[in-house]
Amino acid sequence: MPDQPKQPIRTHKLSSRTWLAALLILIVIPATILFGIFVLDDRKYYFISLLIILYTLVPFALVFEKRKPQARELVVIAVLAAIAVAGRAAFFMFPQFKPVVAIVIIAGVSFGAEAGFLVGATTGFVSNFFFGQGPWTPWQMFCFGIIGFIAGLLYRKGWLRRSRFSLCLFGGLTTLIIYGGIINIGSVMMFTPKLNWETLMAAYGTGFWFDLVHAIATVIFLFALSRPMIEKLDRIKTKYGLVER
Amino acid sequence: MKRDAFSGYHPVVNMLFFVSVIAFGMFFMHPVLQAIALVSAVVYSQMLKGKRALKFNLIYMLPLLLITAVINPAFNHAGVTILFYLKSGNPVTLESILYGVATAVMFVTVIIWFSCYNAVMTSDKFIYLFGRAIPALSLIFSMVLRFVPRYKSQIRRISHAQRSIGRDVTQGSPYRRAKHGLRIVSIMTTWALENAIETADSMRSRGYGLPKRTSFSLYRFDNRDRLALGILAGLLLVILAGAALGENTIRYFPSIRLDPYSSFSAIVYVAYFALCLMPVGIQILEDIKWRSIASRM
Repeated sequence: MPDQPKQPIRTHKLSSRTWLAALLILIVIPATILFGIFVLDDRKYYFISLLIILYTLVPFALVFEKRKPQARELVVIAVLAAIAVAGRAAFFMFPQFKPVVAIVIIAGVSFGAEAGFLVGATTGFVSNFFFGQGPWTPWQMFCFGIIGFIAGLLYRKGWLRRSRFSLCLFGGLTTLIIYGGIINIGSVMMFTPKLNWETLMAAYGTGFWFDLVHAIATVIFLFALSRPMIEKLDRIKTKYGLVER
Repeated sequence: MKRDAFSGYHPVVNMLFFVSVIAFGMFFMHPVLQAIALVSAVVYSQMLKGKRALKFNLIYMLPLLLITAVINPAFNHAGVTILFYLKSGNPVTLESILYGVATAVMFVTVIIWFSCYNAVMTSDKFIYLFGRAIPALSLIFSMVLRFVPRYKSQIRRISHAQRSIGRDVTQGSPYRRAKHGLRIVSIMTTWALENAIETADSMRSRGYGLPKRTSFSLYRFDNRDRLALGILAGLLLVILAGAALGENTIRYFPSIRLDPYSSFSAIVYVAYFALCLMPVGIQILEDIKWRSIASRM
């Protein structure tokens, strides 16, 4: 179908829950990281990275559990996460060339910021049941989650469009800057005892090409998948009357 | 591979063990405690996975240990005992080398503990543990775990069907192949979504979300688990008391400083050793029991 997917009617007002989640992700988590660096004697990076899992998961989990999600909603999130996990598994032989971010972004755009976050974090967590859990799990969960969250948020605000160009641009940039930026900090914290500019720059230098491959993969997958996937998700939403929250 | 006796314990015991050893592994930089943890983790991983663990530990962990140990002195120039100067003019200090070794050991220990965790804490145990606290999310986790193999087999079916009309990923020019691949993925997605809605409706009609839900579980908390949990708690208490009194801490910069050795520190070391080797001990006890039973037969 050559024509562009329709932009459905949507409100530009953000719910209080979205604001709470935004506050937690954008303020409380960085504050905890800084607390670990400056107050906990600069040494307990592992511990801090595990706290992040709590900060990212607990509020979302609480909010999500509290409103007693419908079965349909659960299953759709599980399907999207499963597709992302299967995608990560299918491309296991190409390091960094993975469709996960692309699918997470599509989920965020189609089903909103919270669903985007849940799909991302679930993918990071569950795929490591196949690839092995480790201290990197919380970092991956956070990175995938926040990209889905931002995608949903920006789409809601109308800054991110459903066009291929807009999605690819967003996907490439967020993978390179947000995913790469945060994951490299994570690996510095895991591998080296001292966080300073030199080591961080060294990590960004060595990690850059991996992040670039990842970003290119995201752009390619978004280019190929975004239109058919969004169309399908819209169709399911219309056909079964799933409401966007 | 022999069955691991510790894996047969209740998930609460498993989880508490791994949370404590991994947390302590991250926190304790004291050389004696680090050595205890590293040795125990290696022994347990060996016991769980045999040759595969040996390969993993030698091929991946040993180089990782060396590289991580070298990174620190190259970037960290704190410390008072200067050994020599780098070409850049920065000093290499004894403290930064030792600290590098300590972090390397910590990092490798945690990874090896995680490799044991992966073998023991299977996803069903995790879901059992968190099913009550986060029912909706753990339902999502278990659904994802189920969907992945299901989608794989569905993709195989679709691909077979497409092959019979000449549209499989193995047929045609590279461009066509990619196109066929996308088409298969697209068919799969449509099927997955439709199927998901059906699943959801069937869940609803069977009363998902109604109060007084019971859940199936294979796990029973018996006397054996109670004993293990009690021992675990006792050891944790001693170790945490040691941590509170500063027995487990070490200062690296500007100069290395350890608390003087005392009889209490010996107790803490023994407790930590016992904690880390608990699964190994359980396995050995089980083996002895088995042998004595088998010899009587």
